[in-house]
Amino acid sequence: MGKHACWSLCLLAGVLMVFSNVGPTAAQETLKIGFFAPITGPAAADGMSAKNAVELAVQEVNAGGGIKGKKVELIVYDDRLKAEEAVAIANKLIEKDKVVGVVSGSYSGPTRVVAPILQKAGMPMVAGYAVHPDVTWNPNTKTPNDFIFRNGFLGEIEGAAAAEFAVKDLKAKRMAIIAMDNDFGRSISAGFADRAEKLGATILTKQMYKFPGEKDFRPYLTTIKEGNPDVIFAAGYYNEAASIVRQAKELGIKSQILGEEGFDSPKFLEIAGEAAEGVIIATNLDRDDPRPVVQNFLKNYRAAYGHDADMVGASSYDAFMILADAIKKAGTDPKAIQKALLETKDYDGLTGKISRFVQGEVVKPVQIQIVKEGKFRRKAIIDNPEIITPPKKS
Amino acid sequence: MIWQQLANGIAVGSVYALISLGLTMVYGILRILHVAHAGIYTLGAYVGLVAFRLVDHFWLSLVAGMVGAAVAGYLVERLLYMPILHMPRIAPLIVSIGLFTAMEEAFRIAAGPHTLVYNAKVGLGELTIGGFRLTETQVLILLVTFLILLFLWLFLTRTKMGLAMRACALDTETASTFGVNVNAVIAVNFIIGSFMAGAAGVLIGVYDNQVWPTMGSIPAYKALAIVVLGGLGNIPGTVLASLIVGLAETFFIGVLSVPFPRDAIAFIAMILVLMFRPYGLLGKA
Repeated sequence: MGKHACWSLCLLAGVLMVFSNVGPTAAQETLKIGFFAPITGPAAADGMSAKNAVELAVQEVNAGGGIKGKKVELIVYDDRLKAEEAVAIANKLIEKDKVVGVVSGSYSGPTRVVAPILQKAGMPMVAGYAVHPDVTWNPNTKTPNDFIFRNGFLGEIEGAAAAEFAVKDLKAKRMAIIAMDNDFGRSISAGFADRAEKLGATILTKQMYKFPGEKDFRPYLTTIKEGNPDVIFAAGYYNEAASIVRQAKELGIKSQILGEEGFDSPKFLEIAGEAAEGVIIATNLDRDDPRPVVQNFLKNYRAAYGHDADMVGASSYDAFMILADAIKKAGTDPKAIQKALLETKDYDGLTGKISRFVQGEVVKPVQIQIVKEGKFRRKAIIDNPEIITPPKKS
Repeated sequence: MIWQQLANGIAVGSVYALISLGLTMVYGILRILHVAHAGIYTLGAYVGLVAFRLVDHFWLSLVAGMVGAAVAGYLVERLLYMPILHMPRIAPLIVSIGLFTAMEEAFRIAAGPHTLVYNAKVGLGELTIGGFRLTETQVLILLVTFLILLFLWLFLTRTKMGLAMRACALDTETASTFGVNVNAVIAVNFIIGSFMAGAAGVLIGVYDNQVWPTMGSIPAYKALAIVVLGGLGNIPGTVLASLIVGLAETFFIGVLSVPFPRDAIAFIAMILVLMFRPYGLLGKA
């Protein structure tokens, strides 16, 4: 072995020592919480909104002295709305970043991929707004993912709440459904159809469109127009929602359009423009809720990012705060965090008062909002326990 | 309702025609599958949108989008395809796919991943006859497509350059021995094809009120299916195939309510036709 090689080895060893020293000391100073959202890709507006809101929450927690004297460090990943990215993210969070808990600011697709991996590793996660039942439930083993909690509504519950409002408040009897053909669209429109039929309404037609890719909804809407329904229930994300609303107006459709939380984005209002006026949605944020937690968030978000907050951001903010609250109470042991989450009672959340979690599912009222002068405003609140109590899974 | 669906289908088919024509013209002369044509289409939409935001005038923005796409098409031909035309045709295909991917990423970096709105006042008004209604943007698409096809037909049949283009499509070498400037014909070919793709980009931008970086990814392969369906290199065949695909998609999903991804229909039509007519609808052996 030459002299050079010897020196190089010593140097390498030195470098390794320096790095190995930095690692643990930095980790002791902060408390790491993992976060993932579709920051780029087809759901980029929602992903950014979730990230912005959670970063705001982190700032607030850290400004208040952090958790048990430690500053919170948010480890952010972009899942690009792809399931294959989500697998890598879950493994990195567990093995590389060694986070204390995880917050999902993403859709059902990536979230239900991450959930079983975290469940297996015994790591708690609170999902902001993913709607699919399999986030909190393992369909293969037929057991609950009991480390996973959800702040958003199950698709079925939100759909049912929309149907409750359509039949009882709008007095609608004839409904048409146009829904995106994915987890989100299927579960939310199934919930709507079940409840509407139970209340005596008729579903004239159910049109499913392809996602991603569909931009021209005129063929579906032309068929729907034929039946002249009282209400058109539309399930989709903001881009599709905006196109549906615009194209319905172009085609001269007069039926009331009823949407869901996928509509709840400034992008929807921007793309749909004037056609958005009067559209009603079932969602997870009430802008006209006078509680300070709501009004402060709306004000601070606007000040920080220059545009209005939406449901996605608010739900993700809540998800982070619920997890932070549990860590504050229970420390960093995953079992203790899980227990603290299970014991949540009458939590004063940004997206409503959470009475409790049932098998990981949140129990709180569903918000009905209407677009007035280009803004979402309170229309009604659905708190019928028959609807908002999640069904027992088995 | 059938009439309404007919209007929906023809509108979509018209845009397919505008995109596919450039592709079939390039194939007719160079035998290149010009996949990046869908990138030119997206570029047309973005250029149109930028112009619209600057001057707030729809028709000017349409012209800007068409001219922008034409310039880009010409540059692609001169700088990328020309130098490698002596290579096997797989080489330009690879270049084309690479360019298309790069263009999509460039749009994302330059304009952001978000959907941008193209909320233009066209000023045409809608057409209502009884229960049948041609929306304003459908009137726009039909009008613009008709004018462009008319221009293309006149150009191909009434001008010397058009004659030269048709001659090159039949046999480039023989055409050149008769004194046809093949390089000029290829350039004009790309310019006209891209011009139409740019128009399609702007029209779809307004029709959907959305412009986004990957808006070309579905047309990229659907246009290939349409071109094959019509008979590779065959211009009337491509127009016919575009309308058939547009109508078939609309009727399958709207009238028959077949739970079927619309983007598969072009391929199914292509396979069916190729089974009975291996050279496409109007193609010749």
